[in-house]
Amino acid sequence: MIQNAISLMIAIPLIGAVISLFAGSKAKFVALIASFIPLVLSLQMYMEFDKSSKIMQFVESYNWVPSIGVKYTVGVDGIGFPLLLLSTIVSILVIIYSWGEGKKPNQYFALLLLNEVGVLGVFTALDFFLFYIFWEVVLIPMYFLIGAWGGPRKDYAAIKFFIYTHVASLVMLLAIFALYFTYSMPDGTRTFDMLTLLQATADKAIFPTGLLNIIFAGLLFGFLVKMPAFPFHTWLPDAHVEAPTAGSVVLAALLLKMGGYGIFRVIMPILPNVDKAWITVIAIIAVLSIVYGAFLALAQKDIKKLVAYSSVSHMGFVTLGAVAFTWMSIQGAMFQQFSHGIITCVLFMSAGTIQHVVGTRIIADLGGLADRMPKFAVIMMAGFMASLGLPGMSGFVAEFLVLTGSFATLPMYTMIVVFLSVATTAAYHLWAMQKVMFGPILKKYMNVHDPHSYELFSMGMIILLSLLFGIAPGLITDIMGTAAHQVMEPVVTLSQMGVI
Amino acid sequence: MYADYAYLIVALPVLAFVLCLFVGWHLPRGGGFITVLATLGGLIISLGILKETYPNQIVHQSMHWFADFNVGILIDPLALVMLLMVTFVVTLIHTYANGYMNGDPGAARYFAEAGLFTAAMLGLVYSDNLLQLFIFWELVGLCSYLLIGFWYRKPSAASAAKKAFLTTRVGDVLFLAGIILLYNNLAALNIPLKPGEYLLQFPVIYANIAQIPPAQLTLIALGILGGAIGKSGQFPLHVWLPDAMEGPTTVSAMIHAATMVTAGVYLVARMFPLFYAAPHGLTAVAAVGAFTALFAATMGLTAFDIKRVLAFSTVSQLGFMMAGLGVGAAVGAAAVGVSIFHLIGHSFFKALLFLCAGSVIHAVNTNDMREMGAVGKYMKWTMYTMLVGSLSLAGFPLFTGFFTKDEIIAKAYEYGVMINFLPYIFLVAAAVLTAIYTFRMWFCVFTGKERSNYGHHESPWVMVGPLVILAVFAFGFGMAAQHDFYSYLDTNFEHYSVNFDELGVIGGHAAEGHEAAGEGEGAGEPWYIKLLPYIISIGGILLAGLFYWDKIKRFDPSQVTGENDPLRRTLLKGYYQHEIFTAWFAETVVYGTSLICNMIDIKLVDGWLNWLSAWILGLAENVRKIQTGVIQNYVSAMLLGIVVLVVVITLAMEVGLV
Repeated sequence: MIQNAISLMIAIPLIGAVISLFAGSKAKFVALIASFIPLVLSLQMYMEFDKSSKIMQFVESYNWVPSIGVKYTVGVDGIGFPLLLLSTIVSILVIIYSWGEGKKPNQYFALLLLNEVGVLGVFTALDFFLFYIFWEVVLIPMYFLIGAWGGPRKDYAAIKFFIYTHVASLVMLLAIFALYFTYSMPDGTRTFDMLTLLQATADKAIFPTGLLNIIFAGLLFGFLVKMPAFPFHTWLPDAHVEAPTAGSVVLAALLLKMGGYGIFRVIMPILPNVDKAWITVIAIIAVLSIVYGAFLALAQKDIKKLVAYSSVSHMGFVTLGAVAFTWMSIQGAMFQQFSHGIITCVLFMSAGTIQHVVGTRIIADLGGLADRMPKFAVIMMAGFMASLGLPGMSGFVAEFLVLTGSFATLPMYTMIVVFLSVATTAAYHLWAMQKVMFGPILKKYMNVHDPHSYELFSMGMIILLSLLFGIAPGLITDIMGTAAHQVMEPVVTLSQMGVI
Repeated sequence: MYADYAYLIVALPVLAFVLCLFVGWHLPRGGGFITVLATLGGLIISLGILKETYPNQIVHQSMHWFADFNVGILIDPLALVMLLMVTFVVTLIHTYANGYMNGDPGAARYFAEAGLFTAAMLGLVYSDNLLQLFIFWELVGLCSYLLIGFWYRKPSAASAAKKAFLTTRVGDVLFLAGIILLYNNLAALNIPLKPGEYLLQFPVIYANIAQIPPAQLTLIALGILGGAIGKSGQFPLHVWLPDAMEGPTTVSAMIHAATMVTAGVYLVARMFPLFYAAPHGLTAVAAVGAFTALFAATMGLTAFDIKRVLAFSTVSQLGFMMAGLGVGAAVGAAAVGVSIFHLIGHSFFKALLFLCAGSVIHAVNTNDMREMGAVGKYMKWTMYTMLVGSLSLAGFPLFTGFFTKDEIIAKAYEYGVMINFLPYIFLVAAAVLTAIYTFRMWFCVFTGKERSNYGHHESPWVMVGPLVILAVFAFGFGMAAQHDFYSYLDTNFEHYSVNFDELGVIGGHAAEGHEAAGEGEGAGEPWYIKLLPYIISIGGILLAGLFYWDKIKRFDPSQVTGENDPLRRTLLKGYYQHEIFTAWFAETVVYGTSLICNMIDIKLVDGWLNWLSAWILGLAENVRKIQTGVIQNYVSAMLLGIVVLVVVITLAMEVGLV
């Protein structure tokens, strides 16, 4: 058993980020090592993780600012651990994919590592103050990645991304403060301890429904913007279109998951205590995100924008599964988080590879690339199939669990999703695939060829992972099954668990 | 003993897929022999299992998968005959493909995809639960997509592949809805499951159908039927199947004639007790099947592309199979045996016909029958094997098709006596047209004069061999297997606790009707009904000969319909399906909706935001110097914001607002 595994995982990329800033062109090796160690640590944690336990594991807790009740508390349970694993996997693959980055590589890799620090912190922090800090830390590398390595409209996109998600964060912070200032511990002091505060929300004497509704709205807004859900999704396509490939991958694969994580960790424990009308509101948002997102994807002319809207649609399944509140649907929603995190990587990498090999991402200008890029074509096809929910790959398992589970409580909404999104999703994927890859090769592209092996390697690994979790979903749904029970039960604090 | 290796039936072709994909490029003929051997292995294991279990045992293996689901193998008579047919026919087609695909630079890819297809189809057949069946069902669809688009540089092939996937996907949406509905209905029953039992397993489904509310049963049945309609090319989702002929001919034979398209029929047969119990479930099946049988046959009359004729014929014959299941409303579970018998027989002669067509195309280098003629002079083997296939398809006495198809028509007659004569009338009309279009094709290709310059050679033995073997089955299978087949398949549902009497009451089928049908096996049919099949097939062939066989030609097709005849135009246009489905529905309705959504997104959802920011900027005109664009300033502003918020909240609490 590794001592302080989580802190080590957060610290190593942080140190790596500092070193790579000064490592010049060697930065990529620093980044590789600094992201490889957390990967190994997380795999080791997977071995040691007790899949049937609802108790926080690998907990570390130290006083930080005792006067205002801030602690450094980290730990993982079934809700957070799969995302931690996802973060370490995606981070190293993104670094490998970016091996050839030539523009200020030291800063580039430092930012990618800093990003890993932020997401790992978000998925493990058990103190609201700490959680918020990591939440904001993530914004900074992403802002710079878009602003400095981005496309032609990068300034607009970067600012829009920053302000939009930042406003959402502030609203969320407001809600956190409301929790903080309303609840006082038996000894009269205040605390930022996440589980303690969440448990307290069940007490009507402390949090009357009216107040809790307002707090809930603030938290929900913060998370929905991040996911992003309709109608707060418009920052996403702009950010993606201008972001460099690695930025897009990290954004879609990890940053969006922070929103979903917030839903499970923070929103679900409060949901039973607020107005029932919220369930309808969230369900409508989920269905609109899924269906509307899919139709939007169909209308796009830029393949990267198409992929961006597909994220909106796919993340809607997370919201739907969560709000349906059955054991199966919650499990499916959690699995969708993990699965979308994997699959979206290969989609954005494909879009990026097309951009730098061919020079354009406009679907109408492409054609017949499979002829010149056979290996890439196979991988991209597999990725698109995974994304459209082909059985045998992870996306299908997630969507099937969500839909089957949600039907029990939200039959109408579920059927709307089944009828309007399943075929549409297949349509935009296949349409794009056909226009880009098939047909006769265009004359101007006679000289393009398969991308670098490190790009193919990253994408190939992701396909294998999607297959692995599609064929043996139990590897990770066993954890999520326990976590789903946990989400549906009243919150238990760390001291009640007996871990601190 | 063989049953312990049942998993290999799927595992071997998967292995072939992996091997061909990664090392096939370095092997002769793309490593096609690997795929042949893998499928042959499956055939041997299936035969072994037949030997062990015949006539009254089943094989059932299962293990936990994830959440509330399992993976498992269920080999009962229904599954076993399908396994035998698929492994046998596909082995022959793979063998043939070794010759047909020889020299194609993508041969390795072909055999990899063909191997994956074989695995998916076999997995579908012996799944022990509905979820697993659905998974393989979708994989079959994927392989179909890949193989139709095999020559992906051709835009028409890429389009046809996409069309096939999307059209069947529409059916799959309904299928998925059916599964979700079924699962939730079963879950609501709170069935006490024994260890190792799962809700979606077929035995569990069969045992609990009677508890599900009848209205729900109908919805579930319609959902599942939707899936079957998509996969088996039934009206109105048949539009993809003729276009699917863009793939190599071996693909057409394997996927779009002998195996994959039969999956829909198999699904309905597999869920037969549910359809039987669902009020109007089987009526819908009979209606769809009978209508499709006739509808597709009319289009088969006018097509000029030899593969399209066969494709329409496949759609039509699948309609026969569906109708065969549908008449189960009158004849009970015997319908499964009748329908599956035609399915198996059809797979032999249709695979044969496609492979013969491939052999012709291979030599002549065109699909257009107007450019063929007199091909028989140079391709004796192909001509005679194709004659056997054609006679069988036309239902010529003593050939397989005669026994299999006419049993469906006979059962439809019983259905007519008891319930409604429409399916019978449709099927008889379709059978007449079948004989006509089949021999129109055969005469056009093999007799008459050469209508263009083409290569004069017979295909190599690796292609002719499978033709001969298939021809033997296309001739003799029906006669030889008739009685054993029915008695074997009729026991299928006796292995499970299915009480058809009870289900029949729920489904509204009169119990007396079955007994009457059971006693008088054909006794109620007047002599002219019994004679009709002979008249249909021989008369149809003669009629085709009068128009298209130079030796006895009396009429010219143009005497019947002119160039501008609206009926002829409608048929040639395939009832304007392209205009309705592709141009109107897909390109106008669906794509139009997406464009409207995009407009809303830009103008409204994002628009209000930009409007808001412009408004704020306008408001802040005087302090615009703050908008420096330097991130540090934003960060400090953010921290300042936090401090302000804290102060505000604290004040609010002091005052007692919160």
